[in-house]
Amino acid sequence: MSMAERMLVARLKERDEQAFSETVRLYGDRVFNLVYRMLGSRAEAEDIAQEVFVSVFKTVDSFRGESKFSTWLLRIAANHCKNRIKYLARRPTSGTHLDDVGEAAMADHGRAPMSSHVDAPDVLLEAAEIESLMQKAIASLDEDQRLLVVLRDVEDLSYEEIGEVTGLPEGTIKSRLHRARMAIKQAIDRHTR
Amino acid sequence: MDHQKAAENFSAYLDGELKDPEKGRLEGHLAVCMQCRTELASLKKTLGQLGHLRREAPRDLLDNVQHQIYVRSRGRFFNRKWRLFGKIPFEWISLGTIIAMLIYYVLLKHASPGGVKALP
Repeated sequence: MSMAERMLVARLKERDEQAFSETVRLYGDRVFNLVYRMLGSRAEAEDIAQEVFVSVFKTVDSFRGESKFSTWLLRIAANHCKNRIKYLARRPTSGTHLDDVGEAAMADHGRAPMSSHVDAPDVLLEAAEIESLMQKAIASLDEDQRLLVVLRDVEDLSYEEIGEVTGLPEGTIKSRLHRARMAIKQAIDRHTR
Repeated sequence: MDHQKAAENFSAYLDGELKDPEKGRLEGHLAVCMQCRTELASLKKTLGQLGHLRREAPRDLLDNVQHQIYVRSRGRFFNRKWRLFGKIPFEWISLGTIIAMLIYYVLLKHASPGGVKALP
């Protein structure tokens, strides 16, 4: 754990409000991205991302510094996601409701700072279609495989960090990740052929 | 090396996790197998696209989290300096204050009137 992380954790344990704001600003995007890719619904992701940070702040006293703070935080996020997936699967009305990712992605890709260029509509549309396809492919995986793909290929974590988040040995991570990636590739190939 | 065995190593190869002699064997196979080169390039492209799936957190995430914490802790979560007070329910603090005032009142009432001498 880096010195900066150590100091942040110490301040969190002292209930320093500024440290809590910093934590949300530093890790908000990563947590939200993970949760969104796991659940596929923006509304669910917003709800769970909040719950993750509330849990982090409630349980920070139990953090012993045996892993990185960031991986500990992502482990909490992953557990929340798994619980929500189980809850949604049990609901009689429907399973996880996937957003119209394409539409949302179009809106996001089109949103650009004033000084930057704006992509052409066909480029935006293609990016949105790819994102939609990717999200559907991720959603078709079981939750364990989904988590591995999101942690490795979306969040760019190392195998060691993934081990800290999931508690899985490296060999298992490698083999499950391989199967998950091949499943995604096949799903993409089916759509593009 | 056959296609099946080669494909099993693609993932580790792209992550830079494949070590020799397996890595050497795979690269030897790729040098002569167009089909596997195409498959590997396709997987690499897919992984690259996955890496672009980034979404920013909503701008009001921090406000919402702080609101949740304030509501659930009734505003007593932060400022640990006051954690002793923060952990004691307000009802107990009120009750303690009332009891202390009662004791003070009783002591005053029963205090000896000769205890305080008038000034000459």
